[in-house]
Amino acid sequence: MYQYSEQDHQLLLERVSQFRGQVARRLKGELSEEEFKHQRLRNGLYLQLHAYMLRVAIPYGLLSSEQMRTLAHIARKYDKGYGHFSTRQNIQYNWPKLEDVPDILDDLAKVEMHAIQTSGNCIRNTTSDPLAGVARDEIEDPRPYCELIRQWSTFHPEFNFLPRKFKIAVSGATHDRAAVAVHDIGLRLVKNETSEEIGFEVYVGGGLGRTPMLGKVIRKYLPKQDMLTYLEAILRVYNMLGRRDNIYKARSKILVHETGEEKFRELVEAEWEKIKAGGLFLRDEDFKWVKGFFNDPAYEALPDQDADFENLMLSNADFARWVDKNIELHKQSGYRIVYLSLKTALQPPGDVTADQMDAIADLADKYSLGHIRTTHRQNLVLSDVQLKDLPALWEELKALDLATPNYNHVTDIISCPGLDYCALATARSIPISQAITARFDDYDFINDLGDVSINISGCINACGHHHVANIGILGVNKKGTEVYQLTLGGSAREDAAIGKIIGPAFEADEIVDAVGKVLSVYLESREDPEETFLMAYRRLGQAPFKERLYG
Amino acid sequence: MDNYIKDRKIDSNEWMPFTGLEDGGSLPAGDIYVPLEEWLNARETLLTRNGRLGIALRNTDDPAIIKDDLERLDLVVLEFPKMADGRAFTQARLLRERYGFKGEIRATGDVLYDQLFYMQRCGVNGFELRDDQNASHSLKAFDEMTVTYQPAFDEELPLWRRHK
Amino acid sequence: MALQVYTASLLKEGLVAYLALENGHPSWTSDIHQATVSEGDALDALKKAAEQSEQENIVVAPYAIDVLKTEDGIVAATKREQIRADGPTIGLPQDNLRESRQAA
Repeated sequence: MYQYSEQDHQLLLERVSQFRGQVARRLKGELSEEEFKHQRLRNGLYLQLHAYMLRVAIPYGLLSSEQMRTLAHIARKYDKGYGHFSTRQNIQYNWPKLEDVPDILDDLAKVEMHAIQTSGNCIRNTTSDPLAGVARDEIEDPRPYCELIRQWSTFHPEFNFLPRKFKIAVSGATHDRAAVAVHDIGLRLVKNETSEEIGFEVYVGGGLGRTPMLGKVIRKYLPKQDMLTYLEAILRVYNMLGRRDNIYKARSKILVHETGEEKFRELVEAEWEKIKAGGLFLRDEDFKWVKGFFNDPAYEALPDQDADFENLMLSNADFARWVDKNIELHKQSGYRIVYLSLKTALQPPGDVTADQMDAIADLADKYSLGHIRTTHRQNLVLSDVQLKDLPALWEELKALDLATPNYNHVTDIISCPGLDYCALATARSIPISQAITARFDDYDFINDLGDVSINISGCINACGHHHVANIGILGVNKKGTEVYQLTLGGSAREDAAIGKIIGPAFEADEIVDAVGKVLSVYLESREDPEETFLMAYRRLGQAPFKERLYG
Repeated sequence: MDNYIKDRKIDSNEWMPFTGLEDGGSLPAGDIYVPLEEWLNARETLLTRNGRLGIALRNTDDPAIIKDDLERLDLVVLEFPKMADGRAFTQARLLRERYGFKGEIRATGDVLYDQLFYMQRCGVNGFELRDDQNASHSLKAFDEMTVTYQPAFDEELPLWRRHK
Repeated sequence: MALQVYTASLLKEGLVAYLALENGHPSWTSDIHQATVSEGDALDALKKAAEQSEQENIVVAPYAIDVLKTEDGIVAATKREQIRADGPTIGLPQDNLRESRQAA
């Protein structure tokens, strides 16, 4: 993990004290709510439906056990004993008091954490692959690049008052687990075909919200040395030309769309030509320095098999199911990657109690070299678990309700907080996710369905990423009633696609049945179990689903 | 009293905005600044004056338009029509870093305590604070943060290259 | 004309609050049942008191909501305001976990 220097620490202390001053000025009335809003949002503090909500940054989804314990402590001391992991790999607290927030930030700063730029019209937390550094399909570890982006974007003086929020994601693997196509900038690490040098395929103008768009490839190959100068050029064009007359047209996706891909590329390239040799040009020493923080831990040389593990696989069906669903191969022999499912019928998707956080921190220390990752699908990952420890870890996770075998399956639902918490929401989303989970919570059914995603948003702003789910659900308010629209065929992976609305919306008590019908059509129509829901939908089109739902 | 800060000191504003050319009257003496359109229309006339001259840009103007005139100018006025509109941050950096402007870059409009730090980093050195802002208190804003990660007008290199 | 109450968020805590006016003295309560219900022109007094509280930095962004008087007291007219008044419609995660473990 990146280790803070004295200056990094200093910056956080200065920021906390600055924010303490802003809160004091607000409480004294020297700052109006309108002006304070800009300041508090830049520090992740919203005023939500019931209370303030504080969003704490987890840079590219990486947490140490010590940081996780601090998150638990904050949940207990300043909140109601839980937190919510978001689709941008951050954590949100739903009940902090304004006057406590500076103290919370002080506690966070002690473990190198903060809420800087987790909201507001600025460059947000850079997100990445939760399997960075341990995935088998990795071209190169994206985390050093994420850290450079983090530093470059933190309090960037030119880009702190952008037309709208700006999100960057970086993926370093063949499979896209960071949803790069739905970010303002998506970077995919690639190897140059001829030189074998590492660089980036650069996507720009992706985003969800009320006008979902996939990012366009603005550059097939950008040498890694040019990463930051190129980002600066894109941001500069966006800052000057992005629309400020209409909040719903202010994201970079609209600028790219309205300017045209070709013209936008020309503008960026022209700006980049002028700054590419500047101070942000990255040298070998810079990479060497930053990569030093992300060296492999001291892995033990282990065989990739273990007798006890294999015996349990044969003798205990529940264990085998968990392994089948929630374990991923590790690049290191004898190690495995473990997904901790935050998706049960008991807890809202992504919610974790303080006790669970502490227990997860202990498990990370005991079994995973103290490392924890957050994922954009609102789960957690223990990234470095020895194969032989899986049986013991499983027992402990079961006791914590964190071993549901459903990763990337039908009950692994992404859900925004919806109208239960959010001031913008128009309908509830958590109760719908719980109802779907309760209905389909049967291992054989889940297993038979295979790889399928359901995402739920409680309003058109699409924080639940419903557009890029195989089955997306959007809650809207229709004449005072919560109703739910179904979209089918979306994907957030390397085959990214925006789902299409299938037809008129369903009432809350109809939507679970509707999802059931969609799943039935798939099960009845698939060519074989290898054909996933998405493959089948792409082959069949909307017609058979429409027929079953409305026919 | 002027609510004005120059080079991190409270100062008095000697500059007059001037937009009266179209009335056919005579040019005022002293230091004046004019909107970009007037400069483009009456460049030669304006240069016959003795006083110092400045130009006010809209935040949609490309500073490149005046890049060849900057040697003759002592002031460029930038607008921050509301706090959330950050286009002039880019204009300031371009004027300083790309076009080498050495005169005063002045922020006007919603110039508020919490932006001064960022403005200064982009090369703004004159601040017409909004009326309700307290100038002497605002001087503290420049030093609230001392650590800067990225290059801008005040730093040529990113932090990771400075401490080596 | 619909019955209305004034609601806002408390500046310091961020919590939902409702305006109660007693003999012209405003106070803010978390309990919608304690709110002063008004309609028509009589709402002006509530509006003034709410705006006063906003200026005094006690509350943020006050606004009026429609309410109904029922046997159970005052009930907000919209789902959104009902959830604001009563809290999330789902239990806290730790309570749900505890109940499920007790049941098991």
